[in-house]
Amino acid sequence: MKSRFLAATILLAAVPSFGQKASQWGLAQSSLSYHATSPVHEVNGVSNAAKGKGVCQNEECDFLVAAPVKSFSSGDTNRDLHMLEATRGAENPMVVVRAKFPEVELGQATIYADLEVQFAGQTANYSHIAFQREAQGNEMRITGTVPATCSDFKFEKPSFLGMTISNDIPVHVDATWKQM
Amino acid sequence: MHLNAVKGATAAAVLLGVLLCPQLSLAQTSGSSSSSASHSPQDQTGQQTPAKKNSSGTSSSLPSAPAPAQAPQEPSLQDLGFSQQQMQSNPALQARLNRRTEMLKLHQRLGLITIAPMAAALITGPMAKAKGRNGQIIKEPTAANLDMHAALGSATAALYFTSASLAIFAPKIPGEKKRGAIRMHEALAFVHVPGMVLTPILGAMAFSQEENGEKVHGIASAHGAVATITAIAYGTSIVAVAWPIHLKFWEKK
Repeated sequence: MKSRFLAATILLAAVPSFGQKASQWGLAQSSLSYHATSPVHEVNGVSNAAKGKGVCQNEECDFLVAAPVKSFSSGDTNRDLHMLEATRGAENPMVVVRAKFPEVELGQATIYADLEVQFAGQTANYSHIAFQREAQGNEMRITGTVPATCSDFKFEKPSFLGMTISNDIPVHVDATWKQM
Repeated sequence: MHLNAVKGATAAAVLLGVLLCPQLSLAQTSGSSSSSASHSPQDQTGQQTPAKKNSSGTSSSLPSAPAPAQAPQEPSLQDLGFSQQQMQSNPALQARLNRRTEMLKLHQRLGLITIAPMAAALITGPMAKAKGRNGQIIKEPTAANLDMHAALGSATAALYFTSASLAIFAPKIPGEKKRGAIRMHEALAFVHVPGMVLTPILGAMAFSQEENGEKVHGIASAHGAVATITAIAYGTSIVAVAWPIHLKFWEKK
């Protein structure tokens, strides 16, 4: 009787380990672009230099993406250097995004992630941000927009000819992840 | 009874081994690539500890099982493969960027202010033009017109060269290749800088000739044309650095 109880206990202890299948993802290619507007300008700064890694386990996914701030290019050196200065990009050279979402959403068309963004020496959190997911073999393409603002990161809004940019600087994310 | 207990325990161990083996191999596959994460202090989260214990505990009870598999850690910045140089804070560069922006903002401001006396000098230029013939007493322009034009020209030159020096002496950022509108802005400087040097010289020559009662002649007669070309190049340079312009005033809500 004791032995049966022992066997049952061991089996029950082993069962939860089946749900802990971990999957890892690497960022195959990506494009991060911020959009800034002023009364006379519309600017898109794009970075293709992001690197990322994702881990899904215990029914939760944790994805990390980072890019050097200076890798964002708007096609104008002067503007990019001003952006680098305004966002204190030499002192805080990386923009780091950590996304958490339930693992079950990896099989759905829309992923709702909670984001923690480190940028310009500040950390901002965004909850329940929708990303579109598109499966492509063992890869998945994730697209979405992070509704970032200048005030979230407490930097002075850049200006040109006396006109400052608007507070909203949405960041569009287009990332292809490959299962490792 | 003792024999039954041994049999039961053996059966349980065998069943447990059969059930856990596939999982071990899977965990090892995914865990192998995360080994680099282990050096990050961030990675040692409590969430991962039970999974780790589970794996190592199993391998000790099953001698033939694969090596202990580590569950993947929470990804950290160190996992991503950026160089230390890319991730390192550079306060000296930040100070340089701050200084650069400060000087270029002043350059912009003075550059825009320069438009006013430059435009006024262009307007008063024809009024300062002598209309008499060589050898005759020139009644036009009046001394007031000439003085006003000369004063406006001087103010333009002073503001212009102050603004230009701010751009020239603004700190350069090492390794930065120039792209975009700034290239046209700088190229046009090859037109308006010589123009801004020549215009007052030619203006002074013309003024001197008029003072001597002569009609402006020789190279001094190009003063107006040089000034006009300079002003056009200067205006184009301002538009060029702001290009492309998307006027959105009316869209403001």
